Amino acid sequence: MSFVAMAWRYLRFRWLVTVLTLAGIALGTGLVCAVLALRHESERALAREAGLYDLVAGGKGSPLQLVLASVYHLDSPTGNLPYSDYERLRYDPRVHWAAPIGLGDNYAGYRIIGTEAHFFELPDRNGDPFFQLARGHVFHDRFEVVLGSHVATVTGLDVGDDFFGTHGLVDVPGGEVHRDFPYKVSGVLAPTGTAQDRAIFGTLASVWEIHETEDRLHSAIQGTAFLADRQEQKRETTAILIRLETPGLRLWMADEIRESSDGIAAVPINEILRFQRSIIGPVQRALLGVAAAVVAVACLTVLTTLHQAAERRRRDIAIFRSLGAVRGEVAALVFTEGLLLTGAGIALGLLLGHGGLALAAGPIRDAVGFALQPWHMPGTEIVALGAMALCGAVASLFPATSCYGRTPIADLHLTD
Amino acid sequence: MHDVSLCLGNADQVSSLRFHLPDFEVEAGDRVALTGPSGCGKSTLLNLVAGLRRADKGEVNVAGTELASLSTAQLDRHRGAHCGMIFQTFHLLAPFTAIENVVIGLRFGARKHTRARQRASEVLRRVGLGDRLHARPDQLSVGERQRVAIARAIAGEAPILLADEPTGSLDPETGREIFALLCDVAAENNRTLLMVTHDLALAADLPRRFDCTALVRSTAAPGREVSIA
Repeated sequence: MSFVAMAWRYLRFRWLVTVLTLAGIALGTGLVCAVLALRHESERALAREAGLYDLVAGGKGSPLQLVLASVYHLDSPTGNLPYSDYERLRYDPRVHWAAPIGLGDNYAGYRIIGTEAHFFELPDRNGDPFFQLARGHVFHDRFEVVLGSHVATVTGLDVGDDFFGTHGLVDVPGGEVHRDFPYKVSGVLAPTGTAQDRAIFGTLASVWEIHETEDRLHSAIQGTAFLADRQEQKRETTAILIRLETPGLRLWMADEIRESSDGIAAVPINEILRFQRSIIGPVQRALLGVAAAVVAVACLTVLTTLHQAAERRRRDIAIFRSLGAVRGEVAALVFTEGLLLTGAGIALGLLLGHGGLALAAGPIRDAVGFALQPWHMPGTEIVALGAMALCGAVASLFPATSCYGRTPIADLHLTD
Repeated sequence: MHDVSLCLGNADQVSSLRFHLPDFEVEAGDRVALTGPSGCGKSTLLNLVAGLRRADKGEVNVAGTELASLSTAQLDRHRGAHCGMIFQTFHLLAPFTAIENVVIGLRFGARKHTRARQRASEVLRRVGLGDRLHARPDQLSVGERQRVAIARAIAGEAPILLADEPTGSLDPETGREIFALLCDVAAENNRTLLMVTHDLALAADLPRRFDCTALVRSTAAPGREVSIA
């Protein structure tokens, strides 16, 4: 009978204490795993998306707000830039790729983003196309749209279907539906695991047309003249997404845009890293602190449990010795028990943490558009698990040492 | 054992109890009853043979080995190889079944059995527990528990059986059965049996008796009265 089998039998024998100790270790480990994996995955997802663009130009306001609104479709846009700014940038030899985006409407809470067909030619950092069509084609006509994969799944819309947009960036009851301008789905994108899956892409011209018509209507109601030429001059874009020929030009170009226009330019990856460090970082550190405290308590529980078990088993340990077991063997048995308890707790915690992430992956994707890889283990997590295993081993050493030093005679109650 | 002495502690901080055995020799295959009143040193004698206690001075030679020359680990191994111990309160391991208790005995004994379970099963059948192999101690009667303890003691083929009041917790009838079994298994392989007992009738059935009375004496300071429990 191996030490592992014997240790396992002892753990089973006092199952309630074992289960409670396991729960403590698993909870701590699960928390640590979940926090570390979530941090890694969110950083990876945020950086991947932010890294697609070298610069984002937009109206004056907070650079972070500009990035959140135009890259992640999360916040309100800062303000508009003249379309001419986009035209100027597009033909700048330092710009590899640029696309305007215009916001204004939504469908079922998903933003309708006006842009141009070459938006879908955006290359990823390996030079491959970032967007792939799952079916259909990119828009050719003004009111054709391409759906992000998540939008298509949730709304049930598919190629050839029609729908009406609602004014505003969020779906509110009683919102103004643009019933004169039906959109037709021309294509559905393959999943990208980014916020783009939660967007609807149409032409910038359609966004302008809807809102110019509204302006005409308002002018007619108010009895003022609608100046088409002036409106032409007023054509604007909410933001301009820019990929440079080389990322080294980011800060230089950002300064140039700030100086040459009424807007600002932000480097998405810098804004996101700043956001993570200043807002998400402290929260994650606090969570990690709590998790570390839970793990420390769990390790202390292992120590207490094994110590109490060893005390209760003084007679059994003396019996082992009377049967011929050497001190090292009884110490190894108690140590094995501690390792089993810690190992099982860590394994359970690992399942708990990553299982929890797997369950949360769907809601997180729905809420912010990030596709998490819940079973991926970052290096920091492996190090943390190793540290926890080490703590468990050290905690198991104390009762093992205590057993090593015990003389069996008193515990066998042979006093005559 | 020759001129063995051992200090047994000083519970009252002034006196101490000293075990002293001038001479004690047992031949292989002897069956000896160790008798005497409580506290006289019967179990101490047994523990010295088992190597659970070390003598302060004198010679303790068991199976040709001088125990004083052995390290603690060697002493443990020597015990596992040469001595099968049987206790008054059985000392079975509660989480394990009868067969596992015997297998664990084999695991720690110096003679390794490649087919430990088969050997354990054989000896349990020998002591009449063929149908109770997988019962845990709390599912066994006291008589059955002592049979498991005897099976564990003989499974490793130890040449010496050390029994400390093996019938002390049993009713007279069961006690007789266990005593008979112990004598049988000792005789089967010419094992040496040292049995501590208060039961003079049982002791009388063994070929040799050794009276342990006065092996332990007080070394109290003059004028102080010391009671020996």
